[in-house]
Amino acid sequence: VRAGGFGARRIGFLAAVAVALLVALVPLLWMLSTSLKTNREITQDGTLIPHSFTFDNYANLFRGRSFGSYLTNSVVVTSASVAVALLLGTHAAYALARFRLWGGLERYLGFALLVSRILPPIVIIIPVFLTFQTLHLLNTRLGLIAVYAAFNVAVVVWMMESFFREIPVDLEEAAMVDGDTRFTAFRRIVLPLAAPGLVATGIFAVIVTYNEFLFALVLTSTPGAETMPVGAATLIGRINVDWGAMSAAGVIGALPIVVFSILVQKHLVRGLTIGAVK
Amino acid sequence: VGNYADVLHDPVFWGSILTTGEFVVLAVTLETVLGLLLALLCAREVRFVRAIRGTLILPMIVTPVVVGIVFRLLYASDVGLTASLARAFGLDPPEILGTNSGAFLGLVALDVWEWTPLLFLILLAGIQSLPTEPFEAAKVDGAGAWRTFVDHTLPMLRPTILVAVTLRTIDALTTFDQVYVLTRGGPGNATQLISIYGYQQFFSFQLYGYAAAMLLMVALVVLVAAGFAVTLMRRRRV
Repeated sequence: VRAGGFGARRIGFLAAVAVALLVALVPLLWMLSTSLKTNREITQDGTLIPHSFTFDNYANLFRGRSFGSYLTNSVVVTSASVAVALLLGTHAAYALARFRLWGGLERYLGFALLVSRILPPIVIIIPVFLTFQTLHLLNTRLGLIAVYAAFNVAVVVWMMESFFREIPVDLEEAAMVDGDTRFTAFRRIVLPLAAPGLVATGIFAVIVTYNEFLFALVLTSTPGAETMPVGAATLIGRINVDWGAMSAAGVIGALPIVVFSILVQKHLVRGLTIGAVK
Repeated sequence: VGNYADVLHDPVFWGSILTTGEFVVLAVTLETVLGLLLALLCAREVRFVRAIRGTLILPMIVTPVVVGIVFRLLYASDVGLTASLARAFGLDPPEILGTNSGAFLGLVALDVWEWTPLLFLILLAGIQSLPTEPFEAAKVDGAGAWRTFVDHTLPMLRPTILVAVTLRTIDALTTFDQVYVLTRGGPGNATQLISIYGYQQFFSFQLYGYAAAMLLMVALVVLVAAGFAVTLMRRRRV
């Protein structure tokens, strides 16, 4: 009886997992397959594997449209804002974790930073839009970098603070007795110990920033500053029925972040769940 | 101040609040149930778990705008996967995005596809970090799988579930990108979530004060929910 039950459970498990994997993958494969079909084949009855492969849909994205510059903008904006945020955020997080402010203010400071992450972006965007209008930061990569860096600083501080708290103070104090300044002790002792948290936080920030759409949509409207998600979405708005171009735009739009995820896959799960599981 | 009064008397505002509420409740419930089921299934499978996780993560990494594109390609009444499947079974292709309930449920399905993996990841980590002793004891006592789940797994997992659901709810309340690409709130107002409505009031109709008043009220609600979530997380950490 035992063995039979085990076998049935095993089959049930495998079937459920197979269904889950199919459901996760088939929609993405459908987009990939559509992007490789000619427009004539797309409108015929669909098969998952194209009969005649074509890369025309992709070539058109880079020839007639600005997908090359969307890609550059996305990469520049994402890497610059995450780098700035990690640099500023780790220091701020360390300060919040180690120093006491007047009246226990440090606790409220941490929460205040978090608010900017939790508030619906659509709420924050109205004042940002009006401010950028005055400062002539609309349609610039610098403007986007500033906004994303601000968001990411909040994320980095919030996550890294708890990592720093778990590192025993004795280690730094010992180093400082041996002649380190607090800053060198932070760099030599604390930062390496917090590296796993730093990596996970960085991964999380890169994914969220690359994928961000609303701010980029509102704050940019020229190919000189528009990011990949905006480029893909506005293309869709204009073409409507050119399914080949639409699916190619989708594939190209998602490709950089999927490639990034594969590169960092060892730390990916931690990066994605860091806010909740930590 | 007049703006606030106007908002409160705007039936479309209340309509989109209701739509958002229905969307969040339906989507997050489905995601939690499915995510929990998957996590329970995979919890003891050491060998497969990495590959399964690696694949299931994909939907939540793919750019939300692109997820909108993916589902437009699925739902398209002429060239979509659903249409092709329907024809293969000799049925008429369904007009998913053309009808009110079809578009709304289609949007829920999109959200479930995209975010069940997050619930799965969080709950899986939660299950794997549970102590093993209670389960061994339950086995010795001869408890069945269902009893063990109700008596031990569920109570111990409750804080994790609560955090995961709250996090997901906060994010779901401000869903924007996917709707923008999939339906733009249509047909009619069937998928007009509050973020889409606010965006339109502000950028299409230039009603700055009105939109600001509306969104501030929404923000207040979200903040209260978030404060609740943070308190929960803090308590867990201690």
